[in-house]
Amino acid sequence: MPDDRDLRPADRAEDAAAERFERYLEAVLRDGRPSPEDVTDGDEAEMARLAAELHAAVDPETGTPDPAFVDQLRVRMRQADAGIAAVRQPLPYRPGVADAPPHGRVRLTRRQLLGGGLVAGAGIAAGAVGAAILRPAGGSTSFTGGTELVGDNGFWAPVAAVADVPPGSAIRFSTAAFDGFVVNDHGEIRALSAICTHMGCALHFRPEWQDLRCPCHPASFDFSGALANGSDRWRANGAYRGDAQAYPASLPALARPRVKVEGGQVLVWTAQV
Amino acid sequence: MESPSRGRFEEIYDAHVVPIYRYIYARIGNRPDAEDITAQVFTRAVEQLDVTREDGQIASWLYRVSQNAIADHWRAFYRLPLLTEAQLAPGWEPVAEAEQPPKRDDDPAAMRVEAVLRRLPEQYRRVLELRFLQRMSVAETARELGVSRGNAKVLQYRALRKAALLGDGSDA
Repeated sequence: MPDDRDLRPADRAEDAAAERFERYLEAVLRDGRPSPEDVTDGDEAEMARLAAELHAAVDPETGTPDPAFVDQLRVRMRQADAGIAAVRQPLPYRPGVADAPPHGRVRLTRRQLLGGGLVAGAGIAAGAVGAAILRPAGGSTSFTGGTELVGDNGFWAPVAAVADVPPGSAIRFSTAAFDGFVVNDHGEIRALSAICTHMGCALHFRPEWQDLRCPCHPASFDFSGALANGSDRWRANGAYRGDAQAYPASLPALARPRVKVEGGQVLVWTAQV
Repeated sequence: MESPSRGRFEEIYDAHVVPIYRYIYARIGNRPDAEDITAQVFTRAVEQLDVTREDGQIASWLYRVSQNAIADHWRAFYRLPLLTEAQLAPGWEPVAEAEQPPKRDDDPAAMRVEAVLRRLPEQYRRVLELRFLQRMSVAETARELGVSRGNAKVLQYRALRKAALLGDGSDA
């Protein structure tokens, strides 16, 4: 194949492609995340895949996971495992009427955290939460909640321990009237419906992408309850990670029941059945 | 909120996280993406895996989910709708029947790379060896080959394209 040894100057298009692909290779060779933007067609995708395998095959040591990553993921899995187990258990039923806060969220104070039975055993979570709540409280978005989820005929149901919901985590809960998630968005506790507003499928939490994801059609909701991978945000923020396309429709935000923190517990205002 | 399965799940995690990561890394080739996909696999495991199954079945389940996540990665990021699992990991047995995860020595991804390199014309093999095996920069590679930097980039581009075509399901 004499063609293979032909090193005459390439045409401009090939020069540009080679230049672009070198950016891709440069990222691969330093073990960083390459940009899919530097790959423009199916052939180049095959080349990218081969380059990835080449890079990985050369040195067995590069394939060894970072111990810090392994440890962090273990903690996340432990929390997720505990959260799932909590949903399987029947929740304590504690009727009562109380003054609900006006918004479907509550910002944790240090007193609530420390006075609420959050002990040294929850060291990792306590450190993280403590850091998050020291941020200034101003500037956070306030919800313009629509119709009240539950009127007067409701009660505060304890659904999770604050210690089990460190920042960036979500725990599934069920009351007789409501399926939801308690989420911790940078120190702010919220309750969100666990039901996709498209066709009613049950959402699941994806810790690595910090979203509530629908298994039926790939809608993702963020911790404010809004659709996170719709075309509006797609245009503003670029591709939603892991999705090849924007979610094709706009969807209403997830319902948000009122929530409060008391005695180290997260309580959600829910309806009597 | 103590879970009876908590200890068991962590046992599974500790037994499998390193081999699963390595399996994924060998097919993804960079740390950030390999970490993301590993986290995805274990997140699905914590939600869906029946921890009372036997160890062999658990390993099979984890590798199958990893394989799908890897395929999804290449599909989603590089628009490769036609990539089949057979193309993705040639030589890989259907996981349902595999008792043991693959040893690294006979890892199909590493073998595929070797086979492809062997079949490349001399100059193409050379440029890929310089960049990937000897970790040379473009400038060093160009000097070594006695060509301009621009030509070195074109050469490696052509070499990878050729190699990708060779590796494309036509393995002898």
